[in-house]
Amino acid sequence: MINNLKKKVLKNLLLKLFVLSITLVLLDFIIGSLLDIFYFRQESGVLYRTTYAIEKTKEDLLIFGSSTAIHNYDPTIFEKGLKMSAYNVGNDGRSVFYHYAVLQAVLKRYKPKIIIYDFEIREFSKDQESYDRISSLLPYYKKNPEIRPIIELKSPYEKYKLLSNIYPYNSLIFTIGIGNTEFNKKRRGDINGFVPLPNIWNHPIDTITFVNRELDSNKIKIFESFVKDCANAKIELFVVCSPILIEPDYTSNSEMMGEKIAKKYNVNFMNYSKDSLFINNPKLFADIGHLNVEGAKIFSNIVKENIARVSKSLTKTGNQ
Amino acid sequence: MIFTSFNFLIFFPGVILVYYLLPEKYRPGFLLLASYYFYINITPVYALLLAGITVSTYAFTILIDKTKAEKKRKLFLIINIIITLLPLFFFKYYNFVNNGVFNLLQSAGIRWPLPEISFFLPIGISFYTFMALGYSIDVYNEEIKAEKNFGVVALFLSFFPILLSGPIERATNMFPQFKGRLVFSYKKAVRGLQLMLWGYFMKLVVANRIAILVSNIFDNADLKSGGSLFMAVLLYPVQVYGDLGGYSLIAIGSANVMGIDIIPNFKRPFFATSMSEFWRRWHISLISWLTDYIYTPLSFQLRKYKIWGIVIALMLTFLISGIWHGAALTFIFWGVLQGTFLSIEAITNKKKKSFVKKHNLDKKKWYIFISCFFTYLLFAFSEIFCGPINSMHKAFFVIRKIFTNFGGPLYYYNPSMIIFILFGISLLFFVEWRMEYYKGAFSFLSNKSWVVRTLLYALLIIIILLIGVFDGGQFIYFQF
Repeated sequence: MINNLKKKVLKNLLLKLFVLSITLVLLDFIIGSLLDIFYFRQESGVLYRTTYAIEKTKEDLLIFGSSTAIHNYDPTIFEKGLKMSAYNVGNDGRSVFYHYAVLQAVLKRYKPKIIIYDFEIREFSKDQESYDRISSLLPYYKKNPEIRPIIELKSPYEKYKLLSNIYPYNSLIFTIGIGNTEFNKKRRGDINGFVPLPNIWNHPIDTITFVNRELDSNKIKIFESFVKDCANAKIELFVVCSPILIEPDYTSNSEMMGEKIAKKYNVNFMNYSKDSLFINNPKLFADIGHLNVEGAKIFSNIVKENIARVSKSLTKTGNQ
Repeated sequence: MIFTSFNFLIFFPGVILVYYLLPEKYRPGFLLLASYYFYINITPVYALLLAGITVSTYAFTILIDKTKAEKKRKLFLIINIIITLLPLFFFKYYNFVNNGVFNLLQSAGIRWPLPEISFFLPIGISFYTFMALGYSIDVYNEEIKAEKNFGVVALFLSFFPILLSGPIERATNMFPQFKGRLVFSYKKAVRGLQLMLWGYFMKLVVANRIAILVSNIFDNADLKSGGSLFMAVLLYPVQVYGDLGGYSLIAIGSANVMGIDIIPNFKRPFFATSMSEFWRRWHISLISWLTDYIYTPLSFQLRKYKIWGIVIALMLTFLISGIWHGAALTFIFWGVLQGTFLSIEAITNKKKKSFVKKHNLDKKKWYIFISCFFTYLLFAFSEIFCGPINSMHKAFFVIRKIFTNFGGPLYYYNPSMIIFILFGISLLFFVEWRMEYYKGAFSFLSNKSWVVRTLLYALLIIIILLIGVFDGGQFIYFQF
């Protein structure tokens, strides 16, 4: 009698859990599919820039990097100066993991002539955020198998989490909604991926201190793969360190490692992080790490001229 | 392994399945194995520490129980307290005391540095240490007989749902359950799953989301406006509540699924109308532990000083609470602040009560609202010293900036951030408001209709999937 009652209770619970699971699967499928449609329907905004970088780029020159890339490199200056199409595929707060995933997706479709890789002062620093931010690639997991190994660096369980249709769009519902409006096109204007910063830095600059952090072997390995893949595809790669407002009182261990790898593959490594034109010159900066529109113009011209001077492909094709 | 990790989502159902498939008599043993596996999964070597404290607590409580002579009993208790506290002191306070003594000696012209240690604090040490101490004192006070079954003591101190961040349980509540029948209860299991679901909402949707904004503001306090800092100060208590409150609900819920009851840790703290009421609703298991083992004996000893005895007992209790939270001046100051708030309330209590009664204020909604808000504000400001700001200098810098430089742009990260935060807080406060003022009318997850309930469960899970922050990392109280 008691056993029968227990069995009945357990059966009841299992049945209810089954119904809940079915409801969840259905809701997850419907909401996830809708989010997928609207995500890839965007034609402007921060999410669209990732889609463009992964699925649509066709330019001869691509600029890779994080926020320093977006705000410091004006592709129109490279277009005019080097006579080739250019696009800035930089993305705020992203690390070498993101850049390498974008490169893989690009190489699957075509081979750009020149790539500029904006190398940060803390490029290889170990931090959890770099792994967390791989999540911006989740919407592309299913359609782009070439980027899956990068996504799986986030966690070995990522492929199981991605059984959910909603999970790739976690925290994006509002951004997707806004990204599908006309208002967004006006709000987030970029010029070939370049987002100019209009303001001038007007805060005291003596309170910031830099510290060398532990290096992440995954980041070093992936960066080396980036350099190697460019070399194999015969893409001319320029690794460039952007200017910063305050001269660091130490030599960045990331920079040293980056330079060593660049040297190994005979790649140009241009370091402007200690350039006297920019150091302690707040008029050219929007904040400590990012140039303003004026600074970006000057810096893009400097990089363009240096590329024109040393580029092998430009000399061959006579693009100059 | 933490509750929000993918591993736990595999571990927990697996444990439940095996637990209920096993014959009843093997269940406590299996829970002990599962608990140690859970802990070893985080830092294997620290499981030895937990085992060591368990052995010492078991042995000394048996000795205390067997011994008749009062002096000897006391001696055994003191030895056990020292042994139990030694690892906590070593891992948590050694560097703090070492630096303090070094600076003191240096100011007297003596230079005698001891090496600094750089071990990670074993997760949960503050919690299981207090549980072990509580049990030993209970045996000494003859509140409970010493447990002869080593497995029961070991399971009590390592029970995985409460091992890492509490609630700080009592032997008097747990031993009878572990020794009794651990059977499946439909009601408890469903309630447990409901609590877990709500706990995940509090942690992933509320706490982790606020954490991104708050840490971004406090980490760059010198670049943010006073208004932004004030916003972060106001948001931080909700973040801690979502974090520890959420953790506690997942802990209580997962224990419920196994048929075990755990004491509650929070009771809608932001509806408290005074600081003393607040501390009866916030981190209840810690405060009741401090009340039973520190405040009550102290105030009894100091009873001849009347109200001033209470004031001293309050100050000392919260000083210990501050030190328990961490080895830093900020935590000590936080404890002193709480003690001061409560002392002022204790001194003015009679006058306040008669004033409220005379004007019938406790029935007036505006008075209740203002009291709740003022209590919240006091707690929020005190949390500046117990939160992500880890130096007195920075804490006072934040306060100064709020009062002297309030203007400037309000930093909100991005529009999604503020919308998600407002949504999470609104839902949390709405549910708590219903529970607080409409007792019995709360039907959010307990609706009579099974269809409505199922849809609500599904909706809550979808909300967590849509706007939860899964990369939020550790729970705040793992550092304590």
